[in-house]
Amino acid sequence: MVAAFVAGAPSPEPFDALACDLARYQAGRIEGYARLCRARGVDVETVANAADVPPVPTDAFKMTRVATFPPEETHVTFRTSGTTVGTRGEHAMRDVTTYDAAAVAFGRRWLARDFAAPAPVVVLGPPPSHSADSSLVHMCEAFVRAFGAPAPAESTYLVDGDGVLDLAAFDERVARALARAEPMLVLGTSFAFVHFVDAVGKASFDLPHGSRVMQTGGYKGRSREVPPAVLRADLARVFALGERAIVGEYGMTELSSQFYERTLFDETAPLGVYAEPPWARVVPVDPDTLAAVPHGSIGIAKIIDLMNVDSAVAVLTQDQVRRVGPEDSGGFELLGRAPGAPARGCSIAIDELLGRTRG
Amino acid sequence: MGRTAADRIADVRRLLQAASAVLEQREELVPIIVESTGLSTEGVELALGRHVELEATDEELSRLVTCAGDVSRVAVVLSANVFVGALRALALARAASDDVVVRPSRRDPAFARALVSAANALGDTHLHIDEALDVAVVEAGEIHVYGRDETIADVRARAREGVRVLGHGSGMGVALVSAAADVSRAAQALADDVVVFDQRGCLSPRVALVIGDEARAAALADALHAELDRLGASVPRGEVPADERAASGRYVATMTYACRVLVGGQHAIGIAPPGAPLVLPPPYRHVHVAACASLADAAKLLAPLAKAVVSVGSDDVEAARTMAPPWARLSALGRMQRPPLDGPVDGREAKHR
Repeated sequence: MVAAFVAGAPSPEPFDALACDLARYQAGRIEGYARLCRARGVDVETVANAADVPPVPTDAFKMTRVATFPPEETHVTFRTSGTTVGTRGEHAMRDVTTYDAAAVAFGRRWLARDFAAPAPVVVLGPPPSHSADSSLVHMCEAFVRAFGAPAPAESTYLVDGDGVLDLAAFDERVARALARAEPMLVLGTSFAFVHFVDAVGKASFDLPHGSRVMQTGGYKGRSREVPPAVLRADLARVFALGERAIVGEYGMTELSSQFYERTLFDETAPLGVYAEPPWARVVPVDPDTLAAVPHGSIGIAKIIDLMNVDSAVAVLTQDQVRRVGPEDSGGFELLGRAPGAPARGCSIAIDELLGRTRG
Repeated sequence: MGRTAADRIADVRRLLQAASAVLEQREELVPIIVESTGLSTEGVELALGRHVELEATDEELSRLVTCAGDVSRVAVVLSANVFVGALRALALARAASDDVVVRPSRRDPAFARALVSAANALGDTHLHIDEALDVAVVEAGEIHVYGRDETIADVRARAREGVRVLGHGSGMGVALVSAAADVSRAAQALADDVVVFDQRGCLSPRVALVIGDEARAAALADALHAELDRLGASVPRGEVPADERAASGRYVATMTYACRVLVGGQHAIGIAPPGAPLVLPPPYRHVHVAACASLADAAKLLAPLAKAVVSVGSDDVEAARTMAPPWARLSALGRMQRPPLDGPVDGREAKHR
């Protein structure tokens, strides 16, 4: 499916058939998923629509192993970032080939399709050696390999193990790219960019013409929180880029696929609307019944991810989303976490204790 | 200022008399509280009948007066939490000051209004309702604020300099079933603690730690399942808001996947897989049961959630003392929701005093 996407060919198999095959495969190897299917009244042997595949809540990744293979076959385990209560979700993988191929293919589509040659890629994050269990760092490393011109790690990953941003290295990288008129790709999390903006102050770091920025993720108390539109405007100003060159990415440790704003290459694409690859669907569902809500209504994101071959083909998040645009070619808006429950009284809410960010 | 401890105790006792008067004439009040809280009629009656702290010894009130301090004025900002909690909030404020102004919850004002009205009728003219109280205009003394952590933070941010803000935020209870406990009896007592207020109080047990192996934890869960079924018939769960139904579905799905869950008509009990970190189930009669090999293991498992723990109930209170956070209230199982009237239910704020 990924190869067909890269070649511009139609998908060799229907999405629904693949999703249902994966559900059968996972239910056959994970007793917990078989239990969940039975509890939902779904017979995985006969299920025919992806919409009917029961989703696994992201909390399950914190409670138990979500994998079709034995622990000894694990090649890498991605973990959600630490929370105030120390509970981290885990996503084990025995082979990252598919993950990498899909991430690079869809990342290239919305971040780097116009790069005629390897470009300067910098990551406002730690090197992989410091965050081996972070799916985001892993993805960034894959992008550096796929899109990046050769450069030493210390000129590529600009946050050290203590979280200190190396502005001098960034400056040097930018200067070199400017001299060669090479457009850059800058990758980072929202909180890293806020630190960057704070460090730069009113100064600017004009990037070469044609550069672009990928920003992802939340804050989780690691910096002051900035509304997305404000951060986008700040980054556009600091880097002397148009706002459409600031591309939002949405991903989760529990998934193997990512989603992007199309603003860089589609001049009609609205800001804040994310596109899915052909191997993943984001379905807003009623949080109570898990039924899909009407197009344009707000629901909790049920994500069907065909790249989650060995874990959970359908994942239930706690993020609110809304589908926008044409039903067959539109995208979805991210609307944040579901609001708390005011009627709860003084009984503490799980959201007050637990957080979730992608590691 | 200038009141003696005995004066203060007398003022609190008068408030308890007012509460008794409210309970004696509750026919009109009950349907209003049912409407505002979403609890069932039986749930409201249970709360009024068993969980209003009318009986307090002089020793308990002496402790309450001591911890209340002595201030010129107290403004009390109540939340729509456990509605009978207004009595303790007012008792603390009245013990602290001869000038108490109360802003009831907009959503759930009935019990607090009735209490102040009854106190006024008994001659206490130092207690007033101000539905429109703005914390930013309180010039001196203390603000006692009850509610969500965001509400408390907002009041702290808006309070004037020199005004002390005491926040009573959200929390939870934990049950500890000791190695020596009779599992059936423990389940029976724990069910009583779970059912009242539909688990919406900061003392409500949401997690049960069972000393022993997984089979023992499962036995406790099975017994609790039966008890909650039984109590569900006599004290039906109230209306569950849509977002809490969603949280319930999510918890049930998670526990179904992770290990085992017992789902009743009005409750659910999750049984944690061995070695898994604790997760917090939603309120409205959900209990997360986990086996712990020892008290030390229980303390270790609880540690990440400790800051939220307001109470620990156990069949063995001394054992609970060894693993509970130092600020937590300790009580016997079955009495977690009936703490003595000797101070705030939540001991965490004592850190800030």
